[in-house]
Amino acid sequence: MKTSSPFALLSLCVLGFSSCSKDDKKDDVVAPALQAETVSNLAAGVTTTNGGGGQPTSATKYTFYSFANKAVVATADSNTTKWDVGFRGTTVIINGGNSGPGQGGALVQSGLFTDVATAPETGFAVDAAAGKAIPTGSGMGWYNYDGATNIVTPIAGKVILVRTATGKYAKLEIVSYYQGAPATPTATSVSRYYSFRFLYQPDGTRNLK
Amino acid sequence: MFLVPFFCITSLVGLALPALAQQPADTLRRQKLDEVVVTATRTERSISEVPIPVMVVGAKQMKAMGSVRLNDVLGEQTGLSIVADHGRGVQMQGLNPEYTLILVDGEPLVGRTAGTLELSRVAVGNIQRVEVVKGPASALWGSEALAGVVNIITQKPQPGTSGTLRLRYGTNRTADLSATVNAQGARLGLTLFVDRYSSAGYTLLPESGTATVPPFSNYTAQSRLTYKLGERTKLSVSGRYFIENQASTYQVAAGTADVRYESRQQDYSLNPTLTHSTANGRLFATARFYLAGYRTREDYTYAADGAPYDNTYFNQTFARPEVQLDWRLGSKHTLTGGAGYINESVEATRYDAAQHMQSYYGFVQDDWTPLPGLNIVAGARYDGHNQYKGQLSPKASARYQVRPWLAVRGSAGRGYRAPDFRQLYLNFSNPVVGYSVFGTQEVRERLAALAAAGQLVPDPATGLPLINAALLDRASNLLPESSVAYNAGLQIDPTGKLNITASYFRNNLRDLIETTPVAQKTNGQSVFTYYNVSQAYTQGVEAEAGYQLLRGLRLSGGYQYLIAKDQGVEAQLAAGDIYRRDPATLLTERVRAADYGGLFNRSKHSGNVKLFYESPAQGLTASLRGIYRGRYGFQDLNGNAILDTDAEYVRGYTLWNVAASKTWQQRYTLQVGVDNVLGYTDPAYITTLPGRLLYASVELRLARK
Repeated sequence: MKTSSPFALLSLCVLGFSSCSKDDKKDDVVAPALQAETVSNLAAGVTTTNGGGGQPTSATKYTFYSFANKAVVATADSNTTKWDVGFRGTTVIINGGNSGPGQGGALVQSGLFTDVATAPETGFAVDAAAGKAIPTGSGMGWYNYDGATNIVTPIAGKVILVRTATGKYAKLEIVSYYQGAPATPTATSVSRYYSFRFLYQPDGTRNLK
Repeated sequence: MFLVPFFCITSLVGLALPALAQQPADTLRRQKLDEVVVTATRTERSISEVPIPVMVVGAKQMKAMGSVRLNDVLGEQTGLSIVADHGRGVQMQGLNPEYTLILVDGEPLVGRTAGTLELSRVAVGNIQRVEVVKGPASALWGSEALAGVVNIITQKPQPGTSGTLRLRYGTNRTADLSATVNAQGARLGLTLFVDRYSSAGYTLLPESGTATVPPFSNYTAQSRLTYKLGERTKLSVSGRYFIENQASTYQVAAGTADVRYESRQQDYSLNPTLTHSTANGRLFATARFYLAGYRTREDYTYAADGAPYDNTYFNQTFARPEVQLDWRLGSKHTLTGGAGYINESVEATRYDAAQHMQSYYGFVQDDWTPLPGLNIVAGARYDGHNQYKGQLSPKASARYQVRPWLAVRGSAGRGYRAPDFRQLYLNFSNPVVGYSVFGTQEVRERLAALAAAGQLVPDPATGLPLINAALLDRASNLLPESSVAYNAGLQIDPTGKLNITASYFRNNLRDLIETTPVAQKTNGQSVFTYYNVSQAYTQGVEAEAGYQLLRGLRLSGGYQYLIAKDQGVEAQLAAGDIYRRDPATLLTERVRAADYGGLFNRSKHSGNVKLFYESPAQGLTASLRGIYRGRYGFQDLNGNAILDTDAEYVRGYTLWNVAASKTWQQRYTLQVGVDNVLGYTDPAYITTLPGRLLYASVELRLARK
């Protein structure tokens, strides 16, 4: 594992499939379809010491992310509603319950990201001492861990429905845990780099299409 | 030499063959009729007449192949694949090595690692033949005989005195030095086999800095002493000892200090057997005792200063008294019955204390010939155990000679595999990642201890630890894995020169044991234990044909078509609940049922073609063998844990092996050979293929009648 500070390594690129220009916003036109956003190589708790098994050491801080702003939120703002999800190692938290002051919650569903049309009325959990809203552990939440190869693989067909800090809805699919999202991660791949896609509904409805 | 006394014994009388040998009348019709097998019915039967598929590889053939270890022999047989998982084991009818029982002279070899019994522990220099019974044989052999049985029959003392000395040397500084001694007199008989096998190992991926197979050396000693107590009473005592040492230096993780690894494994056994037959030859009784053990020790130290890094040990013992009675009733029935008791114990780094398991069993079988040409064998065995529910394993099989050139046969039976020590008693916590795995007999106590230490996540409502009680109950009631299997086939001999066998097999497996999380630790990791969950099946067709091209020249071929699938996965696929992610685009899609490739590590197609030549007059043997293994699943790459895309397969391949030998004066034999002539390797995925291997051996044979 190379030596570098957590944020120096943070290389983040937000790629909108297409941008919706402000000129399109006219009252007589139906709101444009929501666009899924893709985030690559979000460093999540990259530390100078490798805890092994894809786990960071406990001293590492969460990397916070805002769906509304499509940007990383500073650690200093951890006790605000500026962030929606936080990543550290394989643990993903939401801004609610015992993880943050917001209205956040989450629900892991099986299905295709593109098929999920609405956020359900019920079933959202919040982070608590008894467990995270997005369950941790291999096969429990969003990933499988292979003890033989030490590889963490996001489970295909798991869509995380997120209630954001401000009570809006989003859907999230984590697609890689390794730097550069290699097709075949190996023991030498650098872990704790999240690639994910999400779709955020800013209007407060449960519509996610 | 300490064996001199036995060379002095003059042979007068050969030992009486077991009374129940049913030698066929017309031995000329087919050479194969001579072959007698014992594994199918626990009595001596002609191979071509047993109703159960049995394959035999004889000493002559093993010699012609230049085989040294058991994996060399089994790897070239139709329907068997050598698979690597904590050692090289045999996959039979698409079932993992843990489901095949490995016997030496009818007694089980012990010492499996993660279910695999390392086949290279068995030297073949003193083996008379290897019998392979496919399909469940738990009705006779009990646990582990779920896919089938491999029974290694060692040389019995032969009249006269003889000895061989053999040296073989080849690529990778692989050397095998062995000696055999045989002596038999009026009452006393002896065989002795000693072998030293060593290799410098090989490295397929030099850039990894780690040897694929580090240098090793091992020694085998096996001996049998027979003594004729009376005209019809015989005592036989056989023993075995094996020791292997291996060492290497490697890096545990990138950037860490080098660690030196030294391992030693040993196995031993002692097996006194007393047999007695009545004067009329109708009753044959056997009493035997078997004591076996397996011990390993692994020491890891820092290469720089020798400070300890880690060490593990594993000590297993197995003791079994057994009696068997074979009774020939009239001309149509042979009844076989037996009973035994097994005491097993294990002591290891990952077990809290020495653990003991006891079981007892009884079996009966009727080998019935109601009409000429029709043979029915039916039997059952009951195994009682102190740790899990008793197991009743019935089996019935039949063979009918429809025409002189055509026979049909079929069988149905149950096989099972008992939970092993690991599944019952393991106590392991990963020091790095932090998860824990406990055997089903340990898990309640361990969870209580973790809860008391505050290491389990509590339920916020009650403050009590969150433990999945339903799963824990299922773990406590752990059942053996079992299967119900069917087999149906044909034997065709249209001419004296051609013979064909074909069979269909199906194994329905249930209660397969897997790990499951039962509680969450405060470090975010899970506590795992074992439970019965999945159902799977394997089915396929196996065909073999042999043709005598010329005098001394035989061409043969074999093929297996195999389907092996998890029924839970099939149900999920049908419901549209399995997805996959394209590794390049990272987009997710639903997997179609047609894309499911079945269980990993199984080849849909496998086969072989062989040419054996033998000229006794000129002392020549030669063989050319092509062994094909079709593509097979290796690992999941797209996040759904199943085999469903081309990238998840290892390429199929064919190995070509050649060998030739010449014997002078029936005394000196020179053999040269090349295994894997084309040098095929697949370093990333196949660790057991070192590439082209050249070898030469010399053998000296001494005999006196």
